[in-house]
Amino acid sequence: MYRFLVRRILGAAMILLIISALTFFLFFAIPRDPAAFACGKLCTPETLEIVRRNLGIDEPVFLQYWHWLVGIFTGRDFTYGHCDAPCLGYSFVNQEPIFQALVDRFPTTLSLTFGAAVVFLLFGIGMGMIAAARQGRPADKIASSASLIGASMQIYFVGVLATWVLVDQLQIIERPSYTPLTENPLQWFYGLLLPWLVLSIIFTANYTRMTRSSMVEQLGEDYVRTARAKGMSARTVFLRFAWRGAMGPVITIFGVDLGVLLGGAIITEQTFSLHGIGELSIKAVINQDLPMLLGVILVAATAIVLFNIVVDAAYAFIDPRVRLS
Amino acid sequence: MRYPRKRAVTAVATLVAGALALSACAQGGGGGPKTTNAAPTRTQDAQAASKVKVGTAEDSKGPAAAEPGATKGGTVNMIDRDDFTHLDPARIWLNYYMTASKLFTRQLTEYKLAQDGSLTLVGDLATDAGTTEDGGKTWKFTLKDNIKWQDGSPITTADIKHSFERIYADFTPEGPPYAEEWLLPEGKKYKGPYDGEHLDTVEAVDDKTIVFHLNSPHPDFNFTVAMTGYGAVPKKHDTKEKYDKMPFSSGPYKIVSHVTDKSMDLERNEHWDPATDAIRNAYPDKWHMEFGVQALQSTDRFIADNGADKQTLTFHNPVATERIQQVVGDPELMKRTVQGLTPFTTFYNINNSRVKDVKVRQALISAFPMQQVRQLQGGELGIGKFASTIISPTVLGHEPFDLYGQQTKPQGDPEKAKKLLAEAGQPNPTIVYAYNQTPTQEKVTVAIKTGLEKAGFKVVTKPLNPATYYDAIGKLDNPYDVYWSGWATDWPTGSTAITLTYDGRKIAAQQPNYSHFNDPDVNAAIDKASAIVDPAEAGKAWAALDKMIMEKAPIIPEFYQSYFGLYGSGLGGVKFHPVTGEQYPNDVYVKQ
Repeated sequence: MYRFLVRRILGAAMILLIISALTFFLFFAIPRDPAAFACGKLCTPETLEIVRRNLGIDEPVFLQYWHWLVGIFTGRDFTYGHCDAPCLGYSFVNQEPIFQALVDRFPTTLSLTFGAAVVFLLFGIGMGMIAAARQGRPADKIASSASLIGASMQIYFVGVLATWVLVDQLQIIERPSYTPLTENPLQWFYGLLLPWLVLSIIFTANYTRMTRSSMVEQLGEDYVRTARAKGMSARTVFLRFAWRGAMGPVITIFGVDLGVLLGGAIITEQTFSLHGIGELSIKAVINQDLPMLLGVILVAATAIVLFNIVVDAAYAFIDPRVRLS
Repeated sequence: MRYPRKRAVTAVATLVAGALALSACAQGGGGGPKTTNAAPTRTQDAQAASKVKVGTAEDSKGPAAAEPGATKGGTVNMIDRDDFTHLDPARIWLNYYMTASKLFTRQLTEYKLAQDGSLTLVGDLATDAGTTEDGGKTWKFTLKDNIKWQDGSPITTADIKHSFERIYADFTPEGPPYAEEWLLPEGKKYKGPYDGEHLDTVEAVDDKTIVFHLNSPHPDFNFTVAMTGYGAVPKKHDTKEKYDKMPFSSGPYKIVSHVTDKSMDLERNEHWDPATDAIRNAYPDKWHMEFGVQALQSTDRFIADNGADKQTLTFHNPVATERIQQVVGDPELMKRTVQGLTPFTTFYNINNSRVKDVKVRQALISAFPMQQVRQLQGGELGIGKFASTIISPTVLGHEPFDLYGQQTKPQGDPEKAKKLLAEAGQPNPTIVYAYNQTPTQEKVTVAIKTGLEKAGFKVVTKPLNPATYYDAIGKLDNPYDVYWSGWATDWPTGSTAITLTYDGRKIAAQQPNYSHFNDPDVNAAIDKASAIVDPAEAGKAWAALDKMIMEKAPIIPEFYQSYFGLYGSGLGGVKFHPVTGEQYPNDVYVKQ
């Protein structure tokens, strides 16, 4: 277990390093000068030079990347002040250290992700199991059709529609907002309820379909037949044997989904005006804010890599045939 | 003035800046929905907009004229798409930031907005709109009594001098360039006051009198200093780069919290004295601002009008294109709208370095299918009114004219264009049209190509990457004949509409004379108009110059862009401001 974790963490660090380098150098490959963006409509070469210096992009790209890397461990000084370690750079658009911006935004994304995950896992796995247990019956058909409809939906459509109906017209749900859990748990719950539900509609569909097909496959396996032949009840076979075997693919997808959502549910956050990592990333792209872009990409990559490790570890607990070696 | 660059780029890309005009002079009509008979509460019509005058010392005295029915108290909410990237006045050249700054930053002069939308330039921190006795080269302003910073200390001429000196600092490159250029003695290099060096051209005669010695006459310098970019910054509390995060208030409110991209809260500045302020009513006790709300979301919230959204407005978000029909079809909603012409005009530059024959340029204007172009972008309600002049109706002295039938035949007049081309001896000239490669512009380009080809032009289309569009058209040797751009006047006189964009002596790479228009007669006329001190007379001269330039056809005027916005039912006094082209905060009150 220990060796597994060390090996995976080192691998993850290497992946993050490669991603940061790729992002950094690709950013400078685009034809637009980020300084021109902030230079105004009468941008003279002199002004452009000042803006470049202020943005910290007047040095060679390799040197800029080196300074960025070193800053993570030692902190950095900018024209606009000091950035403590771990310094992921300074956003000259937001005028704040990147790490601080990410720390400020992360609780919103975390709350959105985990709240939605609880809902879509419960409903998705539950509906998938019911559909598998009632193969070919009305419950299966309803669950399959509902998941097909859910999978066809888009957040920007369902979100706007749900807000209009439930918030604006019926006024039975509060307008989405984020209140820290520690500040007011009830307000935290009410403020995120609608985004959780909408996000869940889209994700539940995948989990229903995945759980159903996995369960159907497992129910046809030899070991399940053996268990039945030994006289175990259908309930025990279903919940104790088939279910454990079916969860492998579901957990794999869940790990990836969780990583992606933690890296920023861009459309969901935009649709509901939530100020999370997703909103930050879209602004970084629009504003050509390289330090911020690097920051959000690293958060997303870290989340995906981290949850891949967690998923790999979780396999061992679910399926005894898997060993962490 | 800069319009939000992102939004300007979006305007290039989609030409839908969410700007609308609902008045009933649609020439040829657009493709937009029909308007209801219900009038919006605040229509700033073109006639009123062009009524700009310079006020007297009496006009500059506070308190501001009361808003009928207004009461003090409550909290006004503001929702908009973006946060304010800059709050340091010296770094502000964007209309959206200017609107917010009206709540906590004061300048030497400001505009008084009348109920009919007309503007009077008055003294804000100064007792009047400034005086000049040498044709605009030397300007004198006297500060009012009892004007204070948020800590209760007096605002002095030393602060004003400091405010103008710090615009030269390296950390303030984003502000307007005018005073920076005009106050710098020839051959001098200056980097701001922080190393102890000061500018003799900004003379604090005593605690109350400040004199500006410009390096050339600028009779409308008193309009220039009304820009937020020349707002007051306290010498004692100037935190240089950090000032941008938390400016020190000279206005009726002070910032109590600002969470980047999320929210900003303002409370009353108890040291602001309404008796010193002829412009700001400051009715609400607090302002709560929330960012990250897209135009569609804000429109839906205003339509739903629930809870705290009743006391909510937006500075910049227009009515979303998807909801225009619903809003204009609902008389109740229309009562909660503001609309008017912004200072932003759009046009197609004709590259005068390549298309040298004036007859060919005139033929381009005559043949241009503007109606089809507008129809593809939401019609009059979606984009604005047809333009036929350089100077917008929002500018002092604007004179309407229509030399090429753009108002009467907006669909284009290919027959007239053919005649002009025949006179030029070029019946089938080839025109390279460069455009921003977006889905909307792809469609618009087809309409333009079709329209021009009806008149005999051979049109070669060149798609440009939206990210590098301005870089490409800003090159002096660019290989294109026609390309789009826009311009917003920084203050409502003709000089900012014309001098930077049509003075041939200012042609340079990446500068706003994108058409490379250089006519000695026009250059001379610009000098002449620039020297006229009387604003009304200057207005007439700029209007005459507008016509003189358009006779030489350097551009194809496109639209006078307009704004159409909604707000909550619990607010009163919400108006449109013709200088910023947005909703105006100073007279807003919470209905009790």
